[in-house]
Order: sequence, then structure tokens, then C-alpha cells
Amino acid sequence: MTGKIDGNDTPKIVDRIAKQGWVSLALWMSVGLLLESLMAYKAPSYLNDLQRRELFRLAHAHGSALALLLVLVAIWIRTVEVKISGLTVFALRFGAGLLPIGFLTAGIWHPEGDPGIAIWLVPVSALALIFGIISLSISKRSS
Amino acid sequence: MRSEYRGSRAGHIDADYIDSKNCVVCHAGHYDSWSRTYHSRMTQDAKPETIQGDFDNRIFEYQGITARMERRDRVFQMTFTFPDGRVESSRIARTVGSRRMEQYVTEQNGQYLRLPVAYDLVNRRWMNLNGSFFHADGKDYFGLRTPWDPNCVFCHNVKAQPNYNFDTKKFQTDVAELGIACGACHGPAATHADRAASPFTRALWRLSDQSARDIVNPTKLSPERSLMVCGHCHGQRVPQPIDRIREILGRGDPYNAGDDLAANFKPVSRETKVGDYSFANRFWSNGSPRLTAYEYQGILRSACFVRGEGPNRITCLSCHSMHDGDPKGQITAENRTNKACLSCHKQYEAQANLIKHTGHSAGSDGSLCYNCHMPRVVYGVMSVHPTHEITIPDPAVTVSGLVPNACNQCHLDKSVNWAIDQSKRLWPARFVQTSPSQDPQFNVAEGPRSLLAGDALTRALAAEALAGVGPGRPDPSWASAWLVEALRDDYPIVRFFAANGLAPMWTTMSKPDYLNPADCLSASDRCRLKLDRLLTERMANDAPMLRAKRPNVDIEVGE
Repeated sequence: MTGKIDGNDTPKIVDRIAKQGWVSLALWMSVGLLLESLMAYKAPSYLNDLQRRELFRLAHAHGSALALLLVLVAIWIRTVEVKISGLTVFALRFGAGLLPIGFLTAGIWHPEGDPGIAIWLVPVSALALIFGIISLSISKRSS
Repeated sequence: MRSEYRGSRAGHIDADYIDSKNCVVCHAGHYDSWSRTYHSRMTQDAKPETIQGDFDNRIFEYQGITARMERRDRVFQMTFTFPDGRVESSRIARTVGSRRMEQYVTEQNGQYLRLPVAYDLVNRRWMNLNGSFFHADGKDYFGLRTPWDPNCVFCHNVKAQPNYNFDTKKFQTDVAELGIACGACHGPAATHADRAASPFTRALWRLSDQSARDIVNPTKLSPERSLMVCGHCHGQRVPQPIDRIREILGRGDPYNAGDDLAANFKPVSRETKVGDYSFANRFWSNGSPRLTAYEYQGILRSACFVRGEGPNRITCLSCHSMHDGDPKGQITAENRTNKACLSCHKQYEAQANLIKHTGHSAGSDGSLCYNCHMPRVVYGVMSVHPTHEITIPDPAVTVSGLVPNACNQCHLDKSVNWAIDQSKRLWPARFVQTSPSQDPQFNVAEGPRSLLAGDALTRALAAEALAGVGPGRPDPSWASAWLVEALRDDYPIVRFFAANGLAPMWTTMSKPDYLNPADCLSASDRCRLKLDRLLTERMANDAPMLRAKRPNVDIEVGE
């Protein structure tokens, strides 16, 4: 996981990143549809709780954007053919997966004026993502 | 990042209070629920957005003085024209009250004065305050034009500081916030708000107890201290000792929510005197309060408080909820049932036990705990309220001390002696020693007896009860006959309830101005012609005997 990825493993890794990206995109777009339905049917548990609305919107927006990011990363690795470490891949997949989940679960239950305890997933995931993006940007080409 | 709240008003006694707008950042839900309450609008700066009274060039005439209410752009004004042609104008600076009555405060040379004309928000009409207080006709028009700075300011705002200069005899009043805002119940919050700026502190607070948060939560206080938070205003009081009045007027109210109220104040009682002034008339002869803003005294005298222990000791929050339910009364719908009482008195959850205990059928008004144990014998702001002294009903208190009893609050067409007989029948063990009275007035139906033989406050309560506002719903044709008689009362507030109770009469004739005794007398004469002849004869027979028993007592309310 933490070592350099063998050249033979690259297509597998790329596939996994791309797969997580597409599945996440489908999932978080579905969440967006759900949020629109909650608005359409004037669900009080969503509309009357501003904190929850904010957190659910952040989950939807970040989830969709980070899913696209994973797809772009997969395309970029394949196109530019960079050498990436297992840690970088883990950081990107972990961050992109857990950051929106942090927002979502922090909005399901939360005390007045603050997000729920799951919000702590957000800064941890964000740090992982930042690490992943920086290490990706300084990765060398495989050729 | 958030600003520092601590020290922003260093040197003042409200140094650590913050404006409620700062609380919304974290407590949006509580801020919203508070904004819906009448507490939040108790004192407001006069603006088109806040004023509810009709200032559309309206005229109100009383005692030969004409008051004209006008609005010019965002300025509201009351102009008095006297019979000698003299004119006096007052610009409205603030309003007090937003539910039943809107009172107006004007500023003169930095001193705030309450004006004598107010707007009745229920009946949508202008009135002189003489019509809401207990004085007979003829009270001075400006008798209730009283200073705001040393009176209203204390309970209708947060952390009042009259800043009275005993040399210049001038007030320079300041408050932490106008209206009854967060600080009134939660105390100074600067440290809490400063610390709450850190997400790590807030996360730790979730795991710790209330004491770590530097804020008062009345639901987490001991029952005694929790009651004191409300009792600070809902329990008329005098400084303790009395000469601390100089400190309080000079510097400000020393009490903060969560403090020991008794360290600074003593609730007034029937025995309290300040100089020659006695508070006795504000209480029934047995010491029970008969005005609002004395709820604290009532609860302190109740067995639910005196004998309650631990979580079963009653507090205001046992029934009331500051952030839930109907803003009128601040009680949730379920607490308008027997739920709050049954949380301790569980034996009456079983319907059979309840019926046996009350002697009334289940589901009737007589099976609601508060109708019998908290009868409507308290007056405040042109309405009648349940007492907060929770007692066991006893019709003999009317005989012994002319205190209205719970039974006859509903059974208005029955006499006190009838209620005594029924009590002996239903609860023989408790009433074994009680005997009916030999005084003939107690053989008369209690509605009319108290309407004619009671003092002004008793008469007002009887008029309201006969009007069918409370749980007792008397036969309207019978009750109307007596209400017509009450239109002849010499107290405007009694006529107010009587006139409101005669609403069906005013479909065919004009409703009299209750402040105008001649108008009410004329209306009473006209109404008499419509009454049942037998009833009129009965009244002619009983009324003189009952009126002869009447004590005339002026009561100053809450000043």
C-alpha cells in the first residue's frame, strides 16, 4: 500500500480509482436528487434545520466534485503515465470517500449550532486529500 | 474570528452581558423560539415595525380631555387637548407590552414617562390606563402617568440600571438589552461566547457537564434557583434590606440569573409594608396572591414546592416551556392536560381513580387538575388567570375570608353553602368539620353574590366568569341578567368584563364605552328591558342586600 506501485499494477489501480469516482458520482448525484425531493415535498426535518441543510448540501457538492476529481486523476495517471505511491492512492481514495460522508453524517444528528461529531472526518479527509494531490503533482513520469 | 465580548462594557454592572443577536450564531433554534414570545417584545423602540396601536389620526376622549394619536413618517405622537384649550404633545419613544395591551413611553429631558393612554390589543381600541387598574370612576386622567426609569425598567428589560443621581434627582437609565432577552434567564454570557468561539472548546462542552460552560441554564439549576430566575420578575419584591433601594436605583439591579434572589430581594407578602404603604390589598385575606407578577409567591406557598423533593419539586419549568409551545402562556399542548401533574401524582392516571378523586366525570372540565387546584382568581392586564398557589379546593374559604373558591368558579349558579354540602358529600373525611354558613348571602348563587357583594377585584373576576370566559359556562340568559347589573358598577374594570360578556346584546344596540359610567348606565337600562321579568324581580330583591356587603377597596396593580 505504501510502496511504489509496480508498472504492471498501474492499470488495476487506475481502474479502481476510476471505478470509485464513477460510483461516487452516481451516489452523490442521487443524494442531490434526494435533497431536491426533500425540498419539493417541503420536508420539515430538512428545511427547518438550517445546519442540516448546510451540511447535506456540502456533502452533495463535495461528494460530486471529489468523485469527478477521482475520475480526472485516473485519466491523468493513464495519460501522463506517472509513477504514484500506494500511499498517494490511499490518501486520494480515503479523502474523497470520507470527506462527504463526514458532512452527511454530521448533519443527520447534530447539537444546536454545531455539526455532529462525525464532522471530525472532514479535516482528516481534507488533509489526506491535500497530501494526495501534492504528492500526485510531484510524481515523476514512469518513462 | 469572533470579537471579544468580555470587557466591552467594563465598569458597568452589565459588563459581561451580551446582546441576544450574538447568541443566534450557535443557538438559532432557541433564538427563533424566543423571538416568537411576548417576552422578546416586552420593551421596544417605537418604530413602524414595532408599534401595533392605531396611530392613524385617531381620537380618544375621556374626562373631557382629547387624545389624538398621529404618525408622521416614522415618528409616533400622542397629543392631549385639555378643556381649557391647552395642548400637550408627547413623542412616543418606546412601547411596553405586545399581547394584551400596548403601553407607550415618552422621553422628557432624558427621563422616561409612561403615558396614561394605551392601546387595547384584544379589543382594538384606545383606553386610559384607569380602565385597567382598580380604581373607581373619577381617578385623575394622568394618575397613571408614572416614571418608567424606576419602575417598568426592572422587569421588562435585561439588567436594568436606572443610574439615579440623588443630587440632581435625574435618572440616566441604561439596560443590557431592551425587552426580556437571553440575558434575563441565562445571565451574563460574555465568557461563554468568547470560549464558544473555539470548536475544540465546544466539542469538550458536549462531553462535560453544564457547569463548564459559563452560562446559566435554568433547567439545570436546583428547583429553588430555577424558580428564582422567573421569580425575579414574576414575584413582586422589595430590596433586602429595604435601604438597598439607593444602591439599586443608583447603580442597578444586582441580581443575575442563577444567583440567590433572597440575597438581594424579599418577595412582598400581605404583611409587607414600605413606610406607610401596605401591600395587603394585593393578596386575598388568606395571603394568596390575587394579581399577576406574584406567581413566585404562589408557588412558594404550594405543597408541590414545600413538600416536593428532588426532581419532584415543582418549578415553573414543570409546566411552562420558554422555547416550546404556544407563546400565549408558554405552555405546550400536552401540559394543558393533566400530564404535568400526573408526572408526580401517578395514582390518578387510572381513569377510575381520577373520577373517584374529582367527583366529576372523566373528560369534563372538573377532571382537569388545574381547574380545581389552580382556580382563576388572579387578575392582570385586563384578564383573569389561574392562581399559581396550588391548593386543595375548599368552599369554606369564601365564608371565612371572602376568597373565591374553586367549586363556585364553575358552579356560578350555585351558592357557597351548596358547594360546602357537595364537598361534605364527595369528600366526607376532609370536610367533616365544615358547616354551611348562617350568613344569608352565602345562600345566593355565588356568581351574582361575588359580582355584587365582593370587592372590586372579586367583582371583576365574577363578571369575567359569568361572561363564560373560564371553565364555568353559565346559562347565557341567566348570566346576562347579572352582567347587565354589573354595567352599573362604579369601577370601569368591572364594567369592562361585563360589557365584553354581553356581546350578544350589542348586535342590536351600541356597545357602551366601559370607561364612561353614564354610557354604561344607559346601556344597562336599555338591556334591562330585554331581560326576563322574573329575573329582574329577583335581582331587585337580592341586589341591595348583596351591595350592602360590598367593601370598596382600591388596588394599585404592580407599581
